[in-house]
Amino acid sequence: MAPEASLSHLHRADGSATYIHNGYCIIGAVNGPIEVMRRDEMPEEATIEVNVRPAAGVGSPKERHLETLLHSTLRSIILTRNIPRTLVQITLQVRSLPEEDGTSGVNTSLTLLPHLLNTALLALLSASIPLRTILTSLLIALPTPTPKMKQPVPILSPTSTELFRTQPIASLHVFAFSADRKLLLSESEGTFKYAEWEEAYEMAEEVCCRDQGGVGLGGGEGMEVDGEEASANLEEWLRGVVRRKVEVEQRWRSAT
Amino acid sequence: MAATTATIVLPGDLIPQDALPAPQNKKKVLKLGPGLRQTPPTIISASIAGALVADARKGSAWIETNSGRYTPTANDLVIATIASSAGESFNCTLTPHTPTALLPHLSFEGATRKTRPILVPNSLVYARILTASTQVSPELTCVDASTGKSDGLGQLKGGMVFGVSLGMARRMLDRRNGGVVVLEGLSEKMGFEVAVGRNGVVWVDANEVGKTLAVGRAVQEVDELGLGEKAQRKLVERVLRGVA
Repeated sequence: MAPEASLSHLHRADGSATYIHNGYCIIGAVNGPIEVMRRDEMPEEATIEVNVRPAAGVGSPKERHLETLLHSTLRSIILTRNIPRTLVQITLQVRSLPEEDGTSGVNTSLTLLPHLLNTALLALLSASIPLRTILTSLLIALPTPTPKMKQPVPILSPTSTELFRTQPIASLHVFAFSADRKLLLSESEGTFKYAEWEEAYEMAEEVCCRDQGGVGLGGGEGMEVDGEEASANLEEWLRGVVRRKVEVEQRWRSAT
Repeated sequence: MAATTATIVLPGDLIPQDALPAPQNKKKVLKLGPGLRQTPPTIISASIAGALVADARKGSAWIETNSGRYTPTANDLVIATIASSAGESFNCTLTPHTPTALLPHLSFEGATRKTRPILVPNSLVYARILTASTQVSPELTCVDASTGKSDGLGQLKGGMVFGVSLGMARRMLDRRNGGVVVLEGLSEKMGFEVAVGRNGVVWVDANEVGKTLAVGRAVQEVDELGLGEKAQRKLVERVLRGVA
Protein backbone atom coordinates (compact mmCIF):
# COMPACT_ATOMS: atom_id res chain seq x y z
CA MET A 1 0.00 0.00 0.00
CA ALA A 2 1.29 3.43 -0.90
CA PRO A 3 1.87 5.94 1.87
CA GLU A 4 -0.53 8.84 2.18
CA ALA A 5 0.91 12.31 2.41
CA SER A 6 -0.32 15.86 2.64
CA LEU A 7 1.99 18.84 2.33
CA SER A 8 2.03 22.41 3.70
CA HIS A 9 -0.98 22.05 5.95
CA LEU A 10 0.45 23.77 9.04
CA HIS A 11 0.13 27.54 8.80
CA ARG A 12 2.75 28.61 11.29
CA ALA A 13 5.60 26.45 10.00
CA ASP A 14 7.57 27.22 6.85
CA GLY A 15 7.03 23.71 5.61
CA SER A 16 5.06 20.77 6.89
CA ALA A 17 3.93 17.30 5.94
CA THR A 18 1.83 14.53 7.37
CA TYR A 19 2.73 11.02 6.39
CA ILE A 20 0.56 7.96 7.01
CA HIS A 21 1.79 4.46 6.21
CA ASN A 22 1.11 1.03 7.67
CA GLY A 23 -0.50 2.50 10.77
CA TYR A 24 2.28 5.01 11.40
CA CYS A 25 1.19 8.64 11.33
CA ILE A 26 3.89 11.30 11.61
CA ILE A 27 3.65 15.08 11.36
CA GLY A 28 6.79 16.84 10.21
CA ALA A 29 7.41 20.58 10.39
CA VAL A 30 10.40 22.48 9.06
CA ASN A 31 11.38 26.02 9.94
CA GLY A 32 14.21 27.56 8.08
CA PRO A 33 16.45 29.17 7.18
CA ILE A 34 16.14 31.02 10.49
CA GLU A 35 18.50 32.68 12.92
CA VAL A 36 20.83 30.29 14.65
CA MET A 37 22.04 30.47 18.20
CA ARG A 38 25.56 31.89 18.45
CA ARG A 39 26.78 28.72 20.08
CA ASP A 40 25.68 26.53 17.13
CA GLU A 41 26.53 28.97 14.35
CA MET A 42 28.87 27.71 11.64
CA PRO A 43 30.52 30.30 9.41
CA GLU A 44 30.13 28.42 6.15
CA GLU A 45 27.32 25.97 6.71
CA ALA A 46 23.79 25.77 7.95
CA THR A 47 23.08 24.11 11.26
CA ILE A 48 20.49 21.36 11.22
CA GLU A 49 18.42 20.55 14.24
CA VAL A 50 16.25 17.45 14.35
CA ASN A 51 13.65 16.90 17.05
CA VAL A 52 11.78 13.63 17.28
CA ARG A 53 8.79 13.63 19.59
CA PRO A 54 7.31 10.26 20.54
CA ALA A 55 3.58 9.50 20.40
CA ALA A 56 3.37 9.44 24.19
CA GLY A 57 5.55 10.92 26.87
CA VAL A 58 8.78 12.79 26.48
CA GLY A 59 11.80 11.83 24.42
CA SER A 60 14.13 9.09 25.59
CA PRO A 61 17.54 7.82 24.41
CA LYS A 62 15.70 5.98 21.63
CA GLU A 63 14.54 9.29 20.17
CA ARG A 64 18.00 10.80 20.64
CA HIS A 65 19.46 7.90 18.67
CA LEU A 66 16.93 8.38 15.87
CA GLU A 67 17.70 12.10 15.83
CA THR A 68 21.41 11.38 15.37
CA LEU A 69 20.71 9.05 12.44
CA LEU A 70 18.31 11.52 10.83
CA HIS A 71 20.70 14.41 11.37
CA SER A 72 23.62 12.78 9.60
CA THR A 73 21.45 11.50 6.75
CA LEU A 74 19.65 14.79 6.14
CA ARG A 75 22.87 16.73 6.46
CA SER A 76 24.18 14.87 3.41
CA ILE A 77 21.27 15.95 1.21
CA ILE A 78 20.67 19.54 2.39
CA LEU A 79 22.81 22.08 0.55
CA THR A 80 24.10 23.51 3.81
CA ARG A 81 26.69 25.70 2.12
CA ASN A 82 24.01 27.63 0.23
CA ILE A 83 22.47 28.92 3.45
CA PRO A 84 25.41 29.56 5.79
CA ARG A 85 24.99 30.80 9.35
CA THR A 86 21.37 29.75 9.51
CA LEU A 87 19.36 27.06 11.20
CA VAL A 88 17.07 24.50 9.64
CA GLN A 89 14.84 23.11 12.34
CA ILE A 90 13.09 19.83 11.65
CA THR A 91 10.47 18.64 14.13
CA LEU A 92 8.91 15.23 13.73
CA GLN A 93 5.96 14.38 15.92
CA VAL A 94 4.84 10.76 15.94
CA ARG A 95 1.09 10.95 16.11
CA SER A 96 0.14 7.30 16.16
CA LEU A 97 1.82 3.94 15.96
CA PRO A 98 0.26 0.67 14.86
CA GLU A 99 -1.30 -1.21 17.74
CA GLU A 100 1.03 -4.17 17.46
CA ASP A 101 4.13 -1.98 17.40
CA GLY A 102 5.26 -2.76 20.91
CA THR A 103 4.39 -6.46 20.75
CA SER A 104 5.89 -7.45 17.41
CA GLY A 105 9.10 -8.27 19.22
CA VAL A 106 11.45 -6.32 16.98
CA ASN A 107 13.47 -3.16 17.45
CA THR A 108 10.91 -0.38 17.27
CA SER A 109 13.42 2.32 16.47
CA LEU A 110 14.32 0.57 13.22
CA THR A 111 10.67 0.11 12.20
CA LEU A 112 10.05 3.82 12.79
CA LEU A 113 13.18 5.15 11.09
CA PRO A 114 12.17 4.89 7.39
CA HIS A 115 8.88 6.65 8.12
CA LEU A 116 10.67 9.46 9.93
CA LEU A 117 13.10 9.87 7.03
CA ASN A 118 10.31 10.03 4.45
CA THR A 119 8.35 12.54 6.55
CA ALA A 120 11.41 14.72 7.04
CA LEU A 121 12.04 14.78 3.29
CA LEU A 122 8.44 15.73 2.50
CA ALA A 123 8.58 18.54 5.05
CA LEU A 124 11.88 19.78 3.61
CA LEU A 125 10.39 19.79 0.10
CA SER A 126 7.42 21.71 1.43
CA ALA A 127 9.70 24.30 3.05
CA SER A 128 11.70 24.70 -0.21
CA ILE A 129 14.99 24.14 1.57
CA PRO A 130 17.72 23.70 -1.08
CA LEU A 131 18.48 20.00 -1.39
CA ARG A 132 21.16 18.16 -3.28
CA THR A 133 18.88 15.27 -4.10
CA ILE A 134 15.81 13.51 -2.80
CA LEU A 135 15.76 10.55 -0.48
CA THR A 136 13.56 7.49 -0.20
CA SER A 137 13.70 5.04 2.63
CA LEU A 138 12.45 1.54 3.27
CA LEU A 139 12.39 -1.25 5.86
CA ILE A 140 13.11 -4.86 4.93
CA ALA A 141 12.64 -7.86 7.22
CA LEU A 142 14.34 -11.22 6.68
CA PRO A 143 12.54 -14.11 8.40
CA THR A 144 14.52 -16.92 10.00
CA PRO A 145 14.97 -19.95 7.69
CA THR A 146 12.77 -22.87 8.71
CA PRO A 147 13.05 -26.55 7.73
CA LYS A 148 10.15 -25.97 5.34
CA MET A 149 11.57 -22.82 3.78
CA LYS A 150 15.35 -22.80 3.50
CA GLN A 151 15.42 -19.55 1.59
CA PRO A 152 12.93 -17.21 3.24
CA VAL A 153 11.54 -14.41 1.13
CA PRO A 154 12.42 -10.92 2.42
CA ILE A 155 9.39 -8.79 3.28
CA LEU A 156 9.39 -5.26 1.88
CA SER A 157 8.10 -2.54 4.22
CA PRO A 158 6.32 -5.05 6.46
CA THR A 159 3.37 -4.00 8.56
CA SER A 160 3.50 -4.67 12.27
CA THR A 161 1.04 -7.53 11.85
CA GLU A 162 3.28 -9.16 9.27
CA LEU A 163 6.27 -8.81 11.57
CA PHE A 164 4.25 -10.32 14.39
CA ARG A 165 3.12 -13.28 12.28
CA THR A 166 6.50 -14.11 10.73
CA GLN A 167 8.26 -14.57 14.03
CA PRO A 168 11.10 -15.09 14.54
CA ILE A 169 12.67 -12.39 12.41
CA ALA A 170 16.32 -13.06 11.62
CA SER A 171 17.27 -9.51 10.69
CA LEU A 172 15.85 -6.06 9.97
CA HIS A 173 17.37 -3.62 7.52
CA VAL A 174 16.64 0.03 6.85
CA PHE A 175 17.93 1.55 3.62
CA ALA A 176 17.80 5.08 2.34
CA PHE A 177 18.68 5.94 -1.24
CA SER A 178 19.23 9.17 -3.08
CA ALA A 179 17.69 9.76 -6.51
CA ASP A 180 20.92 8.73 -8.23
CA ARG A 181 20.83 5.34 -6.51
CA LYS A 182 23.46 6.10 -3.93
CA LEU A 183 23.10 4.50 -0.53
CA LEU A 184 22.66 7.19 2.11
CA LEU A 185 21.84 5.12 5.15
CA SER A 186 21.98 1.46 6.04
CA GLU A 187 21.00 0.30 9.49
CA SER A 188 20.75 -3.40 10.21
CA GLU A 189 19.98 -5.52 13.18
CA GLY A 190 20.04 -9.28 13.76
CA THR A 191 22.04 -12.12 12.29
CA PHE A 192 22.59 -12.19 8.56
CA LYS A 193 25.14 -13.08 5.96
CA TYR A 194 26.62 -10.60 3.55
CA ALA A 195 24.78 -12.27 0.65
CA GLU A 196 21.48 -11.80 2.46
CA TRP A 197 22.24 -8.16 3.09
CA GLU A 198 23.10 -7.69 -0.55
CA GLU A 199 19.86 -9.30 -1.65
CA ALA A 200 17.91 -7.00 0.66
CA TYR A 201 19.92 -4.03 -0.61
CA GLU A 202 19.08 -4.81 -4.22
CA MET A 203 15.39 -5.29 -3.43
CA ALA A 204 15.27 -1.99 -1.57
CA GLU A 205 17.05 -0.19 -4.40
CA GLU A 206 14.48 -1.53 -6.85
CA VAL A 207 11.60 -0.16 -4.80
CA CYS A 208 13.16 3.12 -3.73
CA CYS A 209 14.65 4.31 -7.01
CA ARG A 210 12.93 4.24 -10.30
CA ASP A 211 14.39 2.93 -13.53
CA GLN A 212 17.27 4.92 -14.80
CA GLY A 213 16.23 6.55 -18.03
CA GLY A 214 14.25 9.74 -18.39
CA VAL A 215 14.81 12.35 -15.73
CA GLY A 216 11.18 13.16 -15.23
CA LEU A 217 11.02 15.91 -17.81
CA GLY A 218 8.76 15.97 -20.80
CA GLY A 219 5.21 14.69 -20.83
CA GLY A 220 6.22 11.05 -21.18
CA GLU A 221 5.03 9.90 -17.80
CA GLY A 222 1.35 9.63 -17.04
CA MET A 223 -0.42 12.68 -15.70
CA GLU A 224 -2.36 10.79 -13.07
CA VAL A 225 -0.60 8.34 -10.85
CA ASP A 226 -3.00 5.60 -9.95
CA GLY A 227 -2.84 3.52 -6.81
CA GLU A 228 -0.94 0.47 -7.99
CA GLU A 229 1.64 2.37 -9.96
CA ALA A 230 2.33 4.69 -7.07
CA SER A 231 2.78 1.89 -4.59
CA ALA A 232 5.26 0.11 -6.80
CA ASN A 233 7.94 2.73 -6.56
CA LEU A 234 8.71 5.24 -3.84
CA GLU A 235 10.29 7.81 -6.12
CA GLU A 236 7.29 7.73 -8.45
CA TRP A 237 5.08 8.16 -5.40
CA LEU A 238 7.11 11.16 -4.29
CA ARG A 239 6.76 12.75 -7.71
CA GLY A 240 3.02 12.22 -7.53
CA VAL A 241 2.87 13.99 -4.15
CA VAL A 242 4.85 16.96 -5.47
CA ARG A 243 2.77 17.09 -8.65
CA ARG A 244 -0.41 17.35 -6.59
CA LYS A 245 1.17 20.11 -4.47
CA VAL A 246 2.11 22.11 -7.57
CA GLU A 247 -1.36 21.61 -9.02
CA VAL A 248 -2.93 23.06 -5.86
CA GLU A 249 -0.55 26.02 -5.97
CA GLN A 250 -1.21 26.72 -9.64
CA ARG A 251 -4.96 26.16 -9.64
CA TRP A 252 -5.65 29.90 -9.93
CA ARG A 253 -4.23 29.75 -13.46
CA SER A 254 -6.94 27.41 -14.64
CA ALA A 255 -9.72 28.54 -12.29
CA THR A 256 -12.49 30.68 -13.70
CA MET B 1 -3.30 33.31 -19.34
CA ALA B 2 -2.59 29.95 -20.87
CA ALA B 3 -2.51 27.04 -18.48
CA THR B 4 0.64 25.39 -19.67
CA THR B 5 1.46 21.88 -18.60
CA ALA B 6 4.09 22.51 -16.00
CA THR B 7 7.19 20.39 -15.79
CA ILE B 8 7.52 19.17 -12.24
CA VAL B 9 11.05 18.85 -10.94
CA LEU B 10 12.41 17.45 -7.72
CA PRO B 11 15.72 18.36 -6.08
CA GLY B 12 18.60 16.72 -7.88
CA ASP B 13 16.81 16.42 -11.21
CA LEU B 14 19.04 17.34 -14.13
CA ILE B 15 17.52 19.92 -16.43
CA PRO B 16 18.16 18.98 -20.08
CA GLN B 17 19.40 21.63 -22.47
CA ASP B 18 16.21 21.65 -24.54
CA ALA B 19 14.08 22.56 -21.50
CA LEU B 20 16.08 25.74 -20.99
CA PRO B 21 15.79 28.82 -23.22
CA ALA B 22 18.32 28.67 -26.02
CA PRO B 23 20.87 31.48 -25.99
CA GLN B 24 20.04 33.89 -28.78
CA ASN B 25 23.49 35.34 -29.07
CA LYS B 26 26.83 35.05 -27.39
CA LYS B 27 26.33 38.10 -25.20
CA LYS B 28 23.06 36.99 -23.72
CA VAL B 29 23.81 34.46 -21.05
CA LEU B 30 21.33 32.17 -19.40
CA LYS B 31 20.06 33.47 -16.07
CA LEU B 32 19.22 30.97 -13.38
CA GLY B 33 16.57 31.96 -10.88
CA PRO B 34 15.58 30.47 -7.54
CA GLY B 35 15.81 26.72 -7.24
CA LEU B 36 18.32 26.07 -10.00
CA ARG B 37 22.03 25.54 -9.56
CA GLN B 38 24.87 25.02 -11.93
CA THR B 39 27.58 22.45 -11.47
CA PRO B 40 30.42 23.63 -13.68
CA PRO B 41 30.75 23.42 -16.57
CA THR B 42 27.30 22.70 -17.99
CA ILE B 43 25.22 20.63 -15.61
CA ILE B 44 22.12 22.44 -14.40
CA SER B 45 20.05 20.79 -11.71
CA ALA B 46 17.12 21.67 -9.49
CA SER B 47 17.50 22.18 -5.77
CA ILE B 48 13.86 22.64 -4.75
CA ALA B 49 10.63 20.95 -5.77
CA GLY B 50 8.24 22.85 -8.02
CA ALA B 51 7.34 23.71 -11.59
CA LEU B 52 10.12 24.59 -14.01
CA VAL B 53 9.48 27.88 -15.79
CA ALA B 54 11.57 29.11 -18.70
CA ASP B 55 11.32 32.59 -20.21
CA ALA B 56 12.77 32.52 -23.71
CA ARG B 57 12.59 36.30 -24.17
CA LYS B 58 14.60 37.10 -21.06
CA GLY B 59 16.76 34.01 -21.38
CA SER B 60 16.04 32.97 -17.82
CA ALA B 61 14.75 29.91 -16.03
CA TRP B 62 13.60 29.35 -12.49
CA ILE B 63 11.49 27.06 -10.35
CA GLU B 64 8.09 28.30 -9.35
CA THR B 65 6.89 27.27 -5.94
CA ASN B 66 4.59 28.77 -3.38
CA SER B 67 5.96 27.58 -0.10
CA GLY B 68 8.83 28.14 2.23
CA ARG B 69 10.29 31.17 3.87
CA TYR B 70 11.03 34.46 2.15
CA THR B 71 14.67 34.91 1.18
CA PRO B 72 15.69 38.55 0.74
CA THR B 73 16.71 39.40 -2.82
CA ALA B 74 18.04 42.73 -4.08
CA ASN B 75 15.40 45.10 -5.52
CA ASP B 76 12.47 43.38 -3.84
CA LEU B 77 9.80 45.60 -2.32
CA VAL B 78 9.08 44.49 1.22
CA ILE B 79 7.08 45.60 4.23
CA ALA B 80 9.44 45.68 7.18
CA THR B 81 8.71 46.11 10.86
CA ILE B 82 11.02 48.35 12.87
CA ALA B 83 12.52 46.37 15.74
CA SER B 84 14.82 48.98 17.23
CA SER B 85 16.86 52.04 16.38
CA ALA B 86 20.59 51.74 16.81
CA GLY B 87 23.08 54.50 16.09
CA GLU B 88 22.86 55.30 12.41
CA SER B 89 20.17 52.84 11.34
CA PHE B 90 17.00 51.01 12.23
CA ASN B 91 16.91 47.26 12.72
CA CYS B 92 13.95 45.83 10.83
CA THR B 93 12.42 42.38 10.67
CA LEU B 94 11.29 41.01 7.32
CA THR B 95 10.29 37.53 8.49
CA PRO B 96 10.11 36.20 12.03
CA HIS B 97 13.19 34.58 13.58
CA THR B 98 15.64 35.83 10.97
CA PRO B 99 18.51 38.27 11.46
CA THR B 100 17.33 41.87 11.27
CA ALA B 101 17.76 43.98 8.15
CA LEU B 102 19.41 47.39 8.33
CA LEU B 103 17.58 50.56 7.28
CA PRO B 104 19.89 53.60 7.59
CA HIS B 105 18.33 56.74 9.09
CA LEU B 106 19.46 58.74 6.09
CA SER B 107 17.81 56.59 3.43
CA PHE B 108 14.47 58.36 3.72
CA GLU B 109 13.24 61.14 1.48
CA GLY B 110 14.45 64.48 2.78
CA ALA B 111 16.36 63.02 5.70
CA THR B 112 19.52 64.81 6.77
CA ARG B 113 21.83 64.50 9.72
CA LYS B 114 19.78 67.17 11.51
CA THR B 115 16.30 65.92 10.60
CA ARG B 116 16.12 62.20 11.02
CA PRO B 117 12.90 60.25 10.78
CA ILE B 118 11.65 59.12 14.15
CA LEU B 119 10.14 55.65 13.94
CA VAL B 120 9.13 53.85 17.11
CA PRO B 121 9.52 50.08 17.36
CA ASN B 122 6.73 48.13 15.61
CA SER B 123 6.06 50.81 13.02
CA LEU B 124 5.88 49.62 9.44
CA VAL B 125 7.95 50.77 6.50
CA TYR B 126 7.59 50.00 2.82
CA ALA B 127 11.15 49.59 1.62
CA ARG B 128 13.28 48.27 -1.19
CA ILE B 129 16.05 45.78 -0.56
CA LEU B 130 19.34 47.38 -1.58
CA THR B 131 21.72 44.52 -1.00
CA ALA B 132 21.14 40.94 0.02
CA SER B 133 23.56 38.09 0.38
CA THR B 134 23.99 35.02 2.47
CA GLN B 135 26.99 36.50 4.24
CA VAL B 136 25.67 39.78 5.62
CA SER B 137 22.25 40.91 6.76
CA PRO B 138 20.20 42.69 4.07
CA GLU B 139 20.20 46.45 3.72
CA LEU B 140 17.00 48.36 3.00
CA THR B 141 16.31 51.79 1.58
CA CYS B 142 13.23 53.99 1.30
CA VAL B 143 14.63 56.36 -1.28
CA ASP B 144 15.76 56.15 -4.88
CA ALA B 145 19.49 56.95 -4.76
CA SER B 146 19.56 58.64 -8.20
CA THR B 147 16.56 60.97 -7.78
CA GLY B 148 16.36 61.37 -4.01
CA LYS B 149 12.60 60.74 -4.21
CA SER B 150 10.74 58.16 -2.16
CA ASP B 151 8.56 56.75 -5.00
CA GLY B 152 5.90 55.66 -2.57
CA LEU B 153 8.30 54.09 -0.12
CA GLY B 154 8.46 55.12 3.49
CA GLN B 155 6.52 54.71 6.67
CA LEU B 156 3.08 53.14 6.46
CA LYS B 157 0.79 55.00 8.84
CA GLY B 158 -2.47 53.49 10.05
CA GLY B 159 -4.02 50.52 8.33
CA MET B 160 -3.49 46.84 9.03
CA VAL B 161 -1.24 44.11 7.76
CA PHE B 162 -2.42 40.78 6.39
CA GLY B 163 -0.31 37.74 5.75
CA VAL B 164 -0.52 36.11 2.33
CA SER B 165 1.50 33.39 0.65
CA LEU B 166 4.70 34.36 -1.16
CA GLY B 167 3.18 33.34 -4.48
CA MET B 168 0.18 35.61 -3.90
CA ALA B 169 2.47 38.55 -3.11
CA ARG B 170 4.37 37.94 -6.36
CA ARG B 171 1.11 37.73 -8.29
CA MET B 172 -0.15 41.01 -6.84
CA LEU B 173 3.08 42.77 -7.77
CA ASP B 174 3.08 41.29 -11.28
CA ARG B 175 0.03 43.13 -12.53
CA ARG B 176 -0.06 41.75 -16.05
CA ASN B 177 0.10 38.01 -15.44
CA GLY B 178 -0.92 37.79 -11.82
CA GLY B 179 -4.61 37.29 -12.46
CA VAL B 180 -5.59 39.25 -9.34
CA VAL B 181 -8.63 41.41 -10.15
CA VAL B 182 -10.13 41.59 -6.68
CA LEU B 183 -8.44 44.91 -5.83
CA GLU B 184 -9.50 46.58 -9.10
CA GLY B 185 -13.04 45.32 -8.51
CA LEU B 186 -13.19 46.64 -4.96
CA SER B 187 -11.61 49.98 -5.88
CA GLU B 188 -14.51 50.77 -8.22
CA LYS B 189 -16.82 51.19 -5.24
CA MET B 190 -14.58 52.10 -2.30
CA GLY B 191 -11.33 53.90 -1.72
CA PHE B 192 -8.37 52.28 -0.01
CA GLU B 193 -4.59 52.15 -0.06
CA VAL B 194 -2.64 48.92 -0.51
CA ALA B 195 1.06 48.10 -0.26
CA VAL B 196 2.32 44.63 -1.16
CA GLY B 197 5.58 43.29 0.21
CA ARG B 198 7.39 40.40 -1.41
CA ASN B 199 7.87 38.93 2.06
CA GLY B 200 4.21 37.87 2.06
CA VAL B 201 2.77 40.92 3.79
CA VAL B 202 -0.08 43.08 2.47
CA TRP B 203 -0.86 46.40 4.12
CA VAL B 204 -4.32 47.83 3.66
CA ASP B 205 -5.73 51.17 4.79
CA ALA B 206 -9.32 52.14 4.02
CA ASN B 207 -9.72 54.70 6.85
CA GLU B 208 -12.37 52.51 8.45
CA VAL B 209 -11.56 49.33 10.31
CA GLY B 210 -14.50 47.46 8.77
CA LYS B 211 -13.52 48.33 5.21
CA THR B 212 -9.83 47.63 5.85
CA LEU B 213 -10.69 44.20 7.18
CA ALA B 214 -13.02 43.51 4.28
CA VAL B 215 -10.31 44.27 1.71
CA GLY B 216 -7.61 42.35 3.56
CA ARG B 217 -9.81 39.32 4.14
CA ALA B 218 -10.86 39.32 0.47
CA VAL B 219 -7.21 39.22 -0.60
CA GLN B 220 -6.51 36.38 1.82
CA GLU B 221 -9.52 34.46 0.54
CA VAL B 222 -8.37 34.79 -3.07
CA ASP B 223 -5.02 33.43 -1.95
CA GLU B 224 -6.27 30.50 0.11
CA LEU B 225 -8.95 29.28 -2.29
CA GLY B 226 -6.98 29.95 -5.48
CA LEU B 227 -9.87 31.86 -7.03
CA GLY B 228 -9.99 32.60 -10.75
CA GLU B 229 -11.10 35.91 -12.22
CA LYS B 230 -14.79 35.07 -12.34
CA ALA B 231 -14.83 33.84 -8.76
CA GLN B 232 -12.94 36.98 -7.70
CA ARG B 233 -15.63 39.20 -9.24
CA LYS B 234 -18.26 37.24 -7.34
CA LEU B 235 -16.27 37.72 -4.15
CA VAL B 236 -16.05 41.47 -4.85
CA GLU B 237 -19.84 41.66 -5.13
CA ARG B 238 -20.24 39.78 -1.84
CA VAL B 239 -17.71 41.96 -0.02
CA LEU B 240 -19.25 45.21 -1.32
CA ARG B 241 -22.67 44.06 -0.16
CA GLY B 242 -21.19 43.42 3.26
CA VAL B 243 -19.56 46.82 3.75
CA ALA B 244 -22.30 48.95 2.18
